[in-house]
Amino acid sequence: MSVTAKDVEHVARLAELAVEPGELPELTAQMDRIVGFVAQLGADRADEADEAVVERYVPGPEATPLREDVVRPADLAFPPAAIAPEFVEGFFVVPKLGPMEES
Amino acid sequence: MASRLEEVGRSGLNATLAWSEAALLAEAARADAMATPGPLHGVPLAVKDNIVTTEQPTTCGSRILEGYRSPYNATVIERLRAAGAMVACKSNLDEFAMGSSTEHSAYGRVQHPLDPERVPGGSSGGSAALVAAGVVPAGLGSETGGSVRQPASFCGIVGVKPTYGRVSRYGLVAFGSSLDCVSVFGRTVADAASVLTVMAGLDSRDATTVDRPALGPVTAPASLQGMTIGLPSEYFPADLDPGVKAGCDTAIARMRDLGARVVKVSLPHSGLAVPTYYVIAPAEAAANLARYDGARYGPRFEQDRASRADRGGDLRALYRTTRGKGFGPEVRRRILVGTYVLSAGYYDAYYGRAQAARARIGSDFTRAFGSGIDLLFTPTTPTPAFKAGEKTGDPVAMYLADIFVCPASLAGLPAMSIPVGRTEGLPVGGQLIAAPFEEAKMLATAALLERQLEPEAEVR
Repeated sequence: MSVTAKDVEHVARLAELAVEPGELPELTAQMDRIVGFVAQLGADRADEADEAVVERYVPGPEATPLREDVVRPADLAFPPAAIAPEFVEGFFVVPKLGPMEES
Repeated sequence: MASRLEEVGRSGLNATLAWSEAALLAEAARADAMATPGPLHGVPLAVKDNIVTTEQPTTCGSRILEGYRSPYNATVIERLRAAGAMVACKSNLDEFAMGSSTEHSAYGRVQHPLDPERVPGGSSGGSAALVAAGVVPAGLGSETGGSVRQPASFCGIVGVKPTYGRVSRYGLVAFGSSLDCVSVFGRTVADAASVLTVMAGLDSRDATTVDRPALGPVTAPASLQGMTIGLPSEYFPADLDPGVKAGCDTAIARMRDLGARVVKVSLPHSGLAVPTYYVIAPAEAAANLARYDGARYGPRFEQDRASRADRGGDLRALYRTTRGKGFGPEVRRRILVGTYVLSAGYYDAYYGRAQAARARIGSDFTRAFGSGIDLLFTPTTPTPAFKAGEKTGDPVAMYLADIFVCPASLAGLPAMSIPVGRTEGLPVGGQLIAAPFEEAKMLATAALLERQLEPEAEVR
């Protein structure tokens, strides 16, 4: 398994994360190191190929209880306008969505 | 309190991020105004800066939340205040709790309180350093993969991670949601236990909390007669630091002296915990950190005018620039790794296998506790506190600092670190791991063991 600069650019696009061209070689090397390290989990599976499929493991309560679908007051110390970068008439203001690009 | 925080601010420890005399006075007035003093009346606490409070900024050690103030308080903060405790300060951390050394904070690294050239561990290094330096008796941290036990071990204090579901995560900034736990540091087992007792319990605002009888006050038993302690052989490798091994051997001998039966056990899949963790935690982080985009809160980083024309200057450019400039290197790496392991064609190979490994790691523990083992004892870390800069060049070397703490996190088990001695002047921690919701047994055993150990003495 090896991670290429193209892979890093691809996942950076998926993650909406700007990566400067100058950062790419080091980031690729580090990603390759990490992905190579976690790839040993594949070897684990090969050792135990005959074992029945293991159920997904998530700790915590046996089942997540259903809650009543009711609107509750948020009880905020200050409104969203106080923390938003730009907020006008009850809306968060953002730049317009530009032309779609290939991914 | 203010003078102690001022003094520690001048010391270069860099453990505090936000505190003010006015906020301290308000906290003290609030505690004083209570009709009946609570169990933590007037106790000042350091609070890791990924736990939200309305009075102070919550930065998560990141530029992407610079100046952010939460409009609500975490459940744990409300419960601790209702018991009379005071928020003394917000404490420094690895950015978004991602790290094992508190070197990855946008606000600079935290120093080890005994040796400024070393790290205090992480990611809750600020709270750990403040408790170890005697500034506060206890502090809050958070654990995703060992971020309280590991710094507790490095700093020579007590660090307790509860069972997943024991303490509400409402108001703990999400990193790895199937792993995150608010956890606690104390100078003694009793101090940590009294904070945990107040924080614990069902919370309607966190669906993962479990309705369990409250944790009572912790009393050390007279002996460990009838108690079986398991030593998992995988946690005592041949290359374990000799000082760490000597510290653990001392603690094991004390447990035997106290009447415990000590037996060898095997947790064969624990060796897979670090690679498993570094698939699951980044995958969950990539999803949780998608919310930081410059649209609703936090600073908005704009592109330079020159490149704006090239890139279109649109909404996605805003997201990319804000996230690209707002997140530090370790967080960016983990978002990219998380996105990679979840992406088409790789999901089964990485995330699917990691989930299977997680189940095997968990069932090893279930088997051990089902065979009559009351508690497991292991070293908390493979070495004492390392030097700053020693592992920053190799992310995997840094990750392996958590090799003994990760398994209990993946299994959702309660676990804690207690100081067992020092080697070459640096603290060594021993870890106790219990079955789900057996915190009381673990804390009581630790409270007794603590009396038999000399945490500041050199081990040999």
